[in-house]
Amino acid sequence: MWLFCDGNQARLSGCSLSDYPQNCNVFYMSDTRMLDQGTTPIRFARGWHCLGLASTYSDGKPHSIEGFGTKLVIWQDSKGELNVLDGFCRHMGGDLTQGEVKGDNIACPFHDWRWGGDGKCKEIPYARRVPLRARTQRYETAIVNGQLLIWNDPEGSAADHSILPPELPEVMTDKYTDWSWHTKQINGSHCRELIDNVADMAHFYYVHFAFPTSFRNIFEGHTATQFMESTGRPDKTEGGYSDANSTLKSEATYYGPSYMINWLTVDYKGFITEVILINCHIPTGPDTFTLQYGIAVQKPEGLDEKTVNYIAERYTESFGDGFLQDVHIWENKVAVQNPLLCEEDGPVYQLRRWYEQFYTDVADIKPEMTDRFEFEVDTTKANEYWHAEVADNLAKRAAEEPVSH
Amino acid sequence: MASFVPKSAETLEEERLYTTARMVEVQCLDCLAKVTAKKNSDHHTSIQWSAEARAACPELCRRTPTGGRDTHQACPRMTASIDAAVRSGEIPVGAEDGY
Repeated sequence: MWLFCDGNQARLSGCSLSDYPQNCNVFYMSDTRMLDQGTTPIRFARGWHCLGLASTYSDGKPHSIEGFGTKLVIWQDSKGELNVLDGFCRHMGGDLTQGEVKGDNIACPFHDWRWGGDGKCKEIPYARRVPLRARTQRYETAIVNGQLLIWNDPEGSAADHSILPPELPEVMTDKYTDWSWHTKQINGSHCRELIDNVADMAHFYYVHFAFPTSFRNIFEGHTATQFMESTGRPDKTEGGYSDANSTLKSEATYYGPSYMINWLTVDYKGFITEVILINCHIPTGPDTFTLQYGIAVQKPEGLDEKTVNYIAERYTESFGDGFLQDVHIWENKVAVQNPLLCEEDGPVYQLRRWYEQFYTDVADIKPEMTDRFEFEVDTTKANEYWHAEVADNLAKRAAEEPVSH
Repeated sequence: MASFVPKSAETLEEERLYTTARMVEVQCLDCLAKVTAKKNSDHHTSIQWSAEARAACPELCRRTPTGGRDTHQACPRMTASIDAAVRSGEIPVGAEDGY
């Protein structure tokens, strides 16, 4: 039974609509279900986060990227190592991203304090000695599949290299196209909205215009996987999944809170293409994040370079469009802590239980957050209904088309 | 430290309904693994493993540690055991108001 305040009693008790329903003292019994929007966490997830292609940062200049409620400075030192520090100098708060790389260090534009990749101040050119406490926030780094990853942990633990995403064999060789890499700022949504997609079967029909014919999830340890087989809707032409001539087999795994590898096998009229899609993000604030995605396509044998690049461009474009379809939903929806599910929905509650581990102190992680969980959605009824709807849409369209003479 | 905090006490009951309600214990017919499972329909299956069950399953143990792509497949013996439990009526097939 859900409680809420009706308008009449609200007026009697002097309760205005703006503070309804949390602060309303007069309740009225009803079966109306309320949305529990919950409270979003103040902390940022523990785990590896990808900052993009390592090559972006390898020119010896300081680079700036928003992340974890601050600005980060990234630079390459003389040994070729990439270093990541909090972007603001611990002296007087100068913006290190606008500084200069001097030797192996990043120098602040304000007073030339020199910071090393280990987070220690190495030199203050005008000072007799460097204060012992001159240590700033550093982020441990790893390069995986040509991408720069950094470890974030509000508890300050050492980076756990055993849970890095796997290296992808053959990617970054001439068997695959180079990463096509893109960035998109998302405002007004916590990044959990993006994670929710892992368990969301039906949105593939409504948002991405595909029939998901098979849909399974496995959550275990630090990984969460979605398996999906789909074909495009013939009544729609826009977006990543909607081509009626192609069948998609997709296996997508989150390695930690923010880095997903999506192995896609696309069967376009019998022509098979292997595509790898990286979908990752960096939280920037309580309800903002930066989405990054990269695509590499296995070069089909017997095709010339130009055709291969054309195919890769088309995939990049269509999966990019797919993200934009999601973004429009996220930017206009509200957060919901108590989603109401039907039988055809995926395991949203279990997925969120898994995701919670990254926002919990390590000592407080509960077994059910990491225990293996498997779920298969029954897509039979949904597809029966959807196929009828699409047939109807096509019939309407045919009837509207002018008869040619 | 809690992170995503629900505002309503009813939300906690919803979490219980969707994650643990109607889950039935199933003993693997081939090993010592014991899981809980639910069938909302013939094609739907929900399987909750525990650390003990996971360690007792030779099929899953044979695969690479967590994170390898081959752990993404279900254990065929456990799948068969759940199918058997459905046939014998131990696991009822059918959902209750979406959970």
